[in-house]
Amino acid sequence: MNLSFGRLALSTALALGIACGTAAAKPIAFADGTTVMAEYGAGTMTELQAFYAPTFRYSLGGGHLSLNSAETDNTRDITYLRLNYLPKRWNLESAQANVFVWGGAGRAHVGETGDNLFTWNAGGQVDYETRRVYASLRTDYYDASAFSHRIDTLQLGIAPYAHDYETLAVWFVVQAREYTGGLYDGTEWAALVRLFKHNAWLEAGATRDGKLQAMLMFNF
Amino acid sequence: MKIKHLLFALTLLCANGHAATIEMTVNGLVCGFCAQGIEKTLRKNPATADVFVSLENRLVAILTKDGADIADAELRKALTDAGYDVKAIERTQHSMSELRSRAKAGK
Repeated sequence: MNLSFGRLALSTALALGIACGTAAAKPIAFADGTTVMAEYGAGTMTELQAFYAPTFRYSLGGGHLSLNSAETDNTRDITYLRLNYLPKRWNLESAQANVFVWGGAGRAHVGETGDNLFTWNAGGQVDYETRRVYASLRTDYYDASAFSHRIDTLQLGIAPYAHDYETLAVWFVVQAREYTGGLYDGTEWAALVRLFKHNAWLEAGATRDGKLQAMLMFNF
Repeated sequence: MKIKHLLFALTLLCANGHAATIEMTVNGLVCGFCAQGIEKTLRKNPATADVFVSLENRLVAILTKDGADIADAELRKALTDAGYDVKAIERTQHSMSELRSRAKAGK
């Protein structure tokens, strides 16, 4: 049974009684901070990113995204530069919520035609987290003359205990992801375990198709 | 008389030669991975001897070097630039090991 992503996100958010928002990996770590990230998304997407944040409000950098359709032989290899911006943060006593937006441009190699095209990208993320629960909703859009794809990701997480600054954080995360443009039909569900301590973050699990979903990230 | 002089000299020594602890109550401290920037920023200050962060207590504590201090305005700017909100700043005589023990004990 396929659910539209919009209905899925809304119903989940209503069930939790919170506005959309998740504490997923953030594109801006902290002022004078560098973030490097690698994600393997069940064979449909693989991405590497590196960003530097001169202030906590924005970061600059780039990445490489490989998209491999689960439905056809279509592939895209996109190399891009990007600016990430944090227009709003709420620092509450026991919670934090954020709104991020980003955009950039680069080059896409279209596997089925061999063409190299100009491509632009844009996206955003809202998240809400405490030390025990979090939710995030993220959307990434890539457009070129030969294709357009959007990747929407919802994450809901719960921590078995409240971590502190010098202890290991453990989270159990459910992820729902949808792709447009023929990359994947339906909603890709995954169950993940997230571990982080100090400046290292590891998230790994599997989709309902039994494929690996993993992310590794470091802040410096 | 000699004892009085000695005590007076000791008092002066204690008043001028000790490090102080600055304790800040901070909002938004919910993720250790994200809060790395606080420690990184504060350790850059030449007056900083040690930094302790406790998410449980919403606490960022700085031990300053002997005779050194960091102005409140500078502290607020450092935390704001790191993306957090400072709600209170106070100077105490708590040692860092005391603060760490308290945090471990869940107080």
